[in-house]
Amino acid sequence: MTKFRLAAPFMVAVLALSACTGDSGSSGDGGGGDADVPEGDGSIVVTSLWGGAEEEAFTAVLTAFTESTGIEAEYEANRTDYATVLRTRITGGEPPDVAIIPGIGTLRSLARDGSLISISELGLDQSSFEGNYAPGILDVGVVDDELYGIMVKLNSKATMWYSPERFTELGVEPATDFEGLLQLTEDIKDAGATPWSLGAGDSWTLTDFFEVAYLKMHGPEAYDTLFSPEGDWTDETVQATIDKMTELYTDDNVDGGIDGAIATLFVDGISKVFSTSPSAELYYEGGFVGGIATGADVNPDLAGQEGEAIDWFDFPTIDGNGEGLVTYGGDVMAALVADTDVAAFMEYLTTAEAGQVWAAGGTIISPIVDVDTSVYPTVLIQKEAEQVTSAEAVRFDGSDLLPGTDLGAVLQSAIRGDDMGPILEEFQTLTAAAWESE
Amino acid sequence: MTAANPPATGSGTDDAKRPGGGFPWAALIFLGPAGLLLLAFLAFPTVYTIFLSFNRGRGGEFSNWVGFDNWVRLFTQDPNFLRLGFPPSGALINNLLWIVFYVSLTVLLGLILAVMATRVRYEALIKGIVFLPQAIAATSLAIIWRFVYSPDPNTGLMNAILGIGNVGPVSLLGNPDTVTWALIAVGIWGSVGFATVILSAAIKGISSEVLEAARVDGATETQIFWRIIVPMVSLPISVVAVTLIVNVIKLFDIIFVMTAGGPGASSRVIAFSMYQEAFPQGQFGYGAAIAVVMLLLLVPVMIFNIRRFRAEAVQS
Amino acid sequence: MTALEDTAVRSEPRTMSERLARLAGKSPTHIILGLIGLIWLVPTIGILITSFRPGADMRATGWWTILFEPRFTLANYERVLSAEGMGGAFLNSLFIVIPSTLLPLVIASMAAYALAWVKFPFRDTTFLIIVAMLMVPVQLGFIPLVTAFRESGTGLLTNYGAVWLAHTAYALPFGIFLLRNFFITLPKDLIEAARIDGASNVGIFRTIVVPLSVPAIAAYGIFQFLWTWNDLLMSLVYAQRNSIQPMTVKITQLLGTYATDWSLLAAASFLVMVVPLIVFISLQRYFVQGLLAGSVK
Repeated sequence: MTKFRLAAPFMVAVLALSACTGDSGSSGDGGGGDADVPEGDGSIVVTSLWGGAEEEAFTAVLTAFTESTGIEAEYEANRTDYATVLRTRITGGEPPDVAIIPGIGTLRSLARDGSLISISELGLDQSSFEGNYAPGILDVGVVDDELYGIMVKLNSKATMWYSPERFTELGVEPATDFEGLLQLTEDIKDAGATPWSLGAGDSWTLTDFFEVAYLKMHGPEAYDTLFSPEGDWTDETVQATIDKMTELYTDDNVDGGIDGAIATLFVDGISKVFSTSPSAELYYEGGFVGGIATGADVNPDLAGQEGEAIDWFDFPTIDGNGEGLVTYGGDVMAALVADTDVAAFMEYLTTAEAGQVWAAGGTIISPIVDVDTSVYPTVLIQKEAEQVTSAEAVRFDGSDLLPGTDLGAVLQSAIRGDDMGPILEEFQTLTAAAWESE
Repeated sequence: MTAANPPATGSGTDDAKRPGGGFPWAALIFLGPAGLLLLAFLAFPTVYTIFLSFNRGRGGEFSNWVGFDNWVRLFTQDPNFLRLGFPPSGALINNLLWIVFYVSLTVLLGLILAVMATRVRYEALIKGIVFLPQAIAATSLAIIWRFVYSPDPNTGLMNAILGIGNVGPVSLLGNPDTVTWALIAVGIWGSVGFATVILSAAIKGISSEVLEAARVDGATETQIFWRIIVPMVSLPISVVAVTLIVNVIKLFDIIFVMTAGGPGASSRVIAFSMYQEAFPQGQFGYGAAIAVVMLLLLVPVMIFNIRRFRAEAVQS
Repeated sequence: MTALEDTAVRSEPRTMSERLARLAGKSPTHIILGLIGLIWLVPTIGILITSFRPGADMRATGWWTILFEPRFTLANYERVLSAEGMGGAFLNSLFIVIPSTLLPLVIASMAAYALAWVKFPFRDTTFLIIVAMLMVPVQLGFIPLVTAFRESGTGLLTNYGAVWLAHTAYALPFGIFLLRNFFITLPKDLIEAARIDGASNVGIFRTIVVPLSVPAIAAYGIFQFLWTWNDLLMSLVYAQRNSIQPMTVKITQLLGTYATDWSLLAAASFLVMVVPLIVFISLQRYFVQGLLAGSVK
């Protein structure tokens, strides 16, 4: 106990100290004006959670940036625990200069903590590059009327993946509306195959399905409301969307049944359709499926057979609604350090040149309108870019906008056939409270 | 605590008085480095966390005081942490399941294995095999078991075997009712080696005459196991059990790498919930409250330990 | 080992029939142990085999099919080993692990000695508090300690300092618990005699306690080595520079966003496992004796 008594004042002192400095630190950041941005030291560090092919595509952008400005750019990937690492780096006073922000909820919370540097604080003029983006795209990175995060890459999430060759063998064709999709499912079963693969172990695959279906059924306004603080999860539109989902994803229609699907991860789900010994015919997920399916991890033999052994069709319309409506997912980048090098990098990211280099890497779509679709290396990505640019309206991945509540878990319950009434009520309460406490 | 545990030195019956007396400089020197590190890395964060659990904790720092809000929310409005009903569920309940089943089965299996291993020539080999998981990182453990549990009978070992008997396929990790049990099995697989190694050493300390005498008296092997071996190694058993309980209350890795708490939140445990709330979601005050629950669960373990030390003191 | 030899001597079977009877009597033991051996080995062997299979095969068929159509590749290992900076990361692993193993050995033995053999007020209470600290999860420290490191201005987060100290500190409760329980079983007479001869605490610690406790200290060292070598989270948080991060961190960086490249992970797992296995096998003797003594009073 003597030891403990000695320790107590010490700890109180440390505590008080860290509490004080914490306060002064954040108020200092907040007060930082947009006038003078300090001179950089000629190099920047950028972090994200991309590895493998995504990393190669992005490091090409960094190389191009260094060539055009002379500023060195170092890339750090942290695949595991990205959010933890980012937060501890910020706390440790060693933040990267620029970082991919994992989710819009995190962007909001970091911006309000004073950890991010807004575009105007970097001395950049938003109006000078606004025209480079399709309307609405930049809004995703806005927190409290300030632009913090810039959308750097995106993918459509309205794509249904299949193999045209095997469809021909089975004597079936892609569907254009939801009734047709249900019929297609039956036809595949009648032909002796299993229609759907589902990687619901990564529950975001379910939220993506829900979002695109909700957008198509109920339109952009209802969608915007649902994923805002005014959203009502007990609304009948939510249940109606879930009903469509559970009509399609049943034990009979999904390879391995629903329980099997819930223990199957996203990539493992892809491989059920595109591996060398496939066990299902259809897979719903975003445009990035193509790159993964044709990569070393799943089936490299498919590379070069795009449009024949692997292809996608538009997520079908539902009850005649939703033609030309597309959901998309994407990553936003934000600055964590204010200096001229960082400003130069953020500005570079908004140029068609950067977009062009990135797009040529072949895994993503550039949000920048001037990027020519011909730079996309495969027909699948070209088609995806066209789907997005020609869309009547696009909407950002809604669950990414939620304040940290777990829509995926709710949808896992839904496909398992649980009674959704109480679950949605509970989700509504939690989500409302989470918006409240943001 | 002072009242509960009378100072051991005051009486000083068993030892010759230290030369010099006065302030125990030697103790200070020997304990100093450990004391400093423990204060800085363990005690300080603990106190910080207790305070933080009454704060909003924005960005992990003290932003504004919220009284008992985090606590009320934790126990009344967070179904992922505790959902009362029949049967009750949530991270807290899962952790209790882990404590009961993982600890008791690991100890029991470890003990049986230790007893059996002493009777065969390949003792070192079997102990080495069972100990192997200790050398494997959690991420690797997750891959190993994903390939066992995979619901796809083409690539999953368990379902391939079940498929021979025309059973399944079953998806243990995909069903909220089975996922915690499947993970507990992985945990046991990973820890039995630890228990075996410690307990087998203890069992070897039992003199063979005692066992022989019992055999001569006609005791069966089962009787010998329960009536002689178990009581004689009860102290090492409690050491193993306490270590396992402590580890299982802090359990994080296996859950994080194998299911990330899913399906839904059905396989979450306390440490995972704490991580989830604090880091990805940035609700550090709320995460801190969960962390304090972990510390509170220690209290019974502490009381048990105090009792044990007292008992030992009486014996010696 | 003595008990085993006793058994062998005691009941050396004389005739063939006796031998058979004994074997039959023991066969349940062999069957159960054999089964347990299989359950513990097969999953790991499965991943070892997977690490030598092409990714596309791994996704199509189970690893046991190599019995019928063996097809192997070293590509997974090549991908891991040829990754930029993997050699440096291996050295970093050693550079993090060695001090993080030796420091706690020294510090915990010293503390355990004081708690076992030096008289001072509230000794048992102090010990209990330290045992209680076994409970503190590493995650609690992240935010307050990283803040404290930043404000200290020592740059410990970007050299190896912070990660060494953190590994050491979190290893202490277990080490002190284990070693104190071992030290207290040492013969009291020996230590009393030394004390009467005028030996100081430092002398007793160095010439009596440590030499007699090598197995226990080695056992603790092996555990600490294994845990530190396999650690990912602490390095992510306390080693905040790419250039000082260990292999475990480097490997996670090879994965794409969806982190399900199982073949690559399988190969990486075995590469990471090599060093601990060598250490474990070469020191197993100490380890088995050590822990036993630590817990058996």
